Amino acid sequence: MSDQDESNHSDPRDKASDFERRLNAKLEARRVEEERRNPSRSGWSIGLRYGSDFFAGVLVGAGGGLVVDRLLGWTPWGLIVGLLLGFAAGTLNVVRAARDINASGDTGAKK
Amino acid sequence: MADTNPIRQFEVHPVLPMEVNGIDLSFTNSSYFMFLAVAGVTLLMALATTKRALVPGRGQSIAELLYEFVAGMIRSTAGTEGLRFFPFVFTLFMFILTLNMLGMMHYMPAPGWHGFTVTSHIIVTFALSMLVMVIVVGYGVWKNGFKFLKLFVPSGVPLPLYAIVTPIEVISFLSRPLSLSVRLFANMLAGHILLKVFASFVIMMGTAGVLGFLGAALPLFMVVALTALEFLVAFLQAYVFAILTCIYLNDALHPGH
Repeated sequence: MSDQDESNHSDPRDKASDFERRLNAKLEARRVEEERRNPSRSGWSIGLRYGSDFFAGVLVGAGGGLVVDRLLGWTPWGLIVGLLLGFAAGTLNVVRAARDINASGDTGAKK
Repeated sequence: MADTNPIRQFEVHPVLPMEVNGIDLSFTNSSYFMFLAVAGVTLLMALATTKRALVPGRGQSIAELLYEFVAGMIRSTAGTEGLRFFPFVFTLFMFILTLNMLGMMHYMPAPGWHGFTVTSHIIVTFALSMLVMVIVVGYGVWKNGFKFLKLFVPSGVPLPLYAIVTPIEVISFLSRPLSLSVRLFANMLAGHILLKVFASFVIMMGTAGVLGFLGAALPLFMVVALTALEFLVAFLQAYVFAILTCIYLNDALHPGH
């Protein structure tokens, strides 16, 4: 009781900043709680991001290899090398996507 | 029984058949929804900016919210310099968002009274992502000239390895528009097919006796839940498309990072 009396008599500006501090603490706690409750609402979109990144790398590599084959007549070496490089590029894409998602927190694409 | 084909919704059919020099230039339901989206965005922005009140009304609040959202997104990914691309990114974001949201309406004052998701066609999303890539490459070369190619030659790699690393980087760069378009297209396509499949379960079970009629509540519940999820996905994919555009623009602004 005496504690409350004391706070009533203190400087109002102090009280305002104290209120702000408590409010921020509460908001922070709520945010953490919310994030814990649904850690990845967008798991589907993260999965599709990895998938499409990898798929695109392989497809472009193989396509480029086929074009080289067609133009220079190196069949089948263009396709083989292009496919291998495409797999490497796809993996690189996935690694980069993973780094992006890790850097922006657990919720990934949803910032 | 109602039509339960889950793929029918993606059919493009001409509204105003037109042919120029043997090329089919019909005005289709796809074009109709694109016009609708452009008109909707234009109307929203025009109405929001007529008053220009200090204390914004409802319409102005929405416009200001969208502006702040996109501007903040560009600032955080491409820096303040990236803001010169604000008109482009904002247009792209609003266009895709509106198309996705229009696609969520099952019945529309449209040809056939049926909704249509323009972004569930890969040719549309691919054209949009190629537009992004043309701007990124064009601006990058115009601004940095030869230095733009540093994007393909990362620093800190032993010299002989460049023979492998550079082709990989080139392929990785070329795969970006494909990955960007496939992601938007696949999300919208998969989500809408899923919705239609569960909705057709409701019809099929509902016509199969008393037990089926009661059991139809389960897929109906799934449809409600999936609709909510689809709204999230519709927003999220527009956001992802816009933020990746910003990231690629950042590469054009500062290559070699």
